[in-house]
Amino acid sequence: MIESRESLGITFEKATKVYPGTSAPALDGLDMTIEAGELVCLVGPSGGGKTTALMLINRLIDLSSGDIRIGGTSINDLGPIELRRKIGYAIQQTGLFPHMTVGENIGVVPRILGWDRARIRERAHELLELVGLSPADRWVRRYPGQLSGGQQQRVGIARALAADPPVMLMDEPFGALDPITRTTVQDEFLAIHRAVGKTTVFVTHDIDEAIKMGDKIAVLKPGGLLAQFGTPAELLTAPADDFVESFLGDERGLKRLALFTLADVASSEAPGTTPPWPRLPESTTVRAALSAAMAERAGGVLATRGDDVVGLAPLDALVHPDLPEAVA
Amino acid sequence: MDAFLKAGPFMAENFSLLLEKTGEQLLLSLVAVLISLVIGVPFGLWLGHVHRGEFLAVSLTNIGRALPSLALIAIFIGLVGIGYANVLLALIILAVPPILSYTYIAIDSVDRDLTRAARGMGLTPLEVLWRIEVPLGLPMAFSGVRTAAVLVVSSATLAAVAGGGGLGDVILNQVAYGIEGVVAAALWVAALSILVDQAIALLFRLVASPGVKRVAAQSTSAPAV
Repeated sequence: MIESRESLGITFEKATKVYPGTSAPALDGLDMTIEAGELVCLVGPSGGGKTTALMLINRLIDLSSGDIRIGGTSINDLGPIELRRKIGYAIQQTGLFPHMTVGENIGVVPRILGWDRARIRERAHELLELVGLSPADRWVRRYPGQLSGGQQQRVGIARALAADPPVMLMDEPFGALDPITRTTVQDEFLAIHRAVGKTTVFVTHDIDEAIKMGDKIAVLKPGGLLAQFGTPAELLTAPADDFVESFLGDERGLKRLALFTLADVASSEAPGTTPPWPRLPESTTVRAALSAAMAERAGGVLATRGDDVVGLAPLDALVHPDLPEAVA
Repeated sequence: MDAFLKAGPFMAENFSLLLEKTGEQLLLSLVAVLISLVIGVPFGLWLGHVHRGEFLAVSLTNIGRALPSLALIAIFIGLVGIGYANVLLALIILAVPPILSYTYIAIDSVDRDLTRAARGMGLTPLEVLWRIEVPLGLPMAFSGVRTAAVLVVSSATLAAVAGGGGLGDVILNQVAYGIEGVVAAALWVAALSILVDQAIALLFRLVASPGVKRVAAQSTSAPAV
């Protein structure tokens, strides 16, 4: 069940899609290897082919040429129905079936796989607890229309995880959420991802979301070409070309600070006297901490764990997060 | 006015006659609607599922709107002659367009994101149709059945002209039943139409799951039946 961490890598081999009636490919010779358990974000402008790449994986559309392998098996070696039942799929909140309860939505795939009622019920409860809709009994009989956007999205994630698929595909799953809910659901999804370790392909148009969520990011540019594939740090420190650089935006340097937390940069020596700086949990990103320090015109921030101050992060340490020792 | 006042006593005195004629008319209508469902629903489901047939649905709806049903039935009987089977055929021709076009629109207009999600989860085309499109299209499809049934029940009155029986026998026979009989039977037909309409609304409430009723109640595009 949830403890099982079956997870398979995905390999694109010159994956190309040309839609009928068009001459230019929507996805052009994509070569990319996603390791088992990785969360890879596909980003790019509209027309960059990111949703095309996603829908090729579960054969909602078929490849024009090239191949995609999941755990070494070509997707064309399985029937599309069989393939899709092994792949979790979540889209924007509209993907929940409004005439089914939360429990029924989660149970759709287990039901067609022939699980018995008791097992489906147990699975639905387990997943609702996992995604933070607890106690599950309170939620399982509600309808999607009775839930907020964030709650619907949690159910969508639970539904995608229902049959414990080795691969998850998510198409702008948080696109319709307000910024605050979005941040919360992102954090929760990251925690779930770490817990269940599913290989996840995550389409988003939001580069900040990609930097936050992705173990790696694939930037696609118009014409369906892969502009760069690498870790968020690699992209931010060494964009492959002008397109990636402009896509990352003017604040590329600042965005890089979001890859570090106060726990990474705060000096651990117990200070004799604590300066009157803002106090922030040590899990706060350096970018947010710097912003807080600037807002209060302070010389740094204090990292806390519970109620205790556990470290000091002066401005220098915040600005050069990868060199904390040198600065300290 | 006098005829209206006498219609009441007429109904009381000839209750068994009216019941018998009502039975004939309902049976004829029921057979016509059932055959129309068998013809219209599968086509509507299939065309809606593959999202083809907009032209057909729109044309059928327009023909239905442009031709007064009584005129249609009269023309048809004039063309092919009288007889129970011909009346039945005329009623079927009347009922298939609303059933087919409403069913088509009901299935075609189900949110494409939902069907994409369903397909992406590994549902077969039949499962997508049965578990997603049919339940979500049910309120709209039932509107088509209601429209068709009311049309058929009221039009079936004309069956008497062609020898099909029903309340038309009374309405068209003032010589035997008097004006009060004509009015009584006409009122009876009106009441019958309303009853049939309500009966189908009730049928929807019986067959629709709680979730489908909830969606129907919230949807503005498909008025709840």
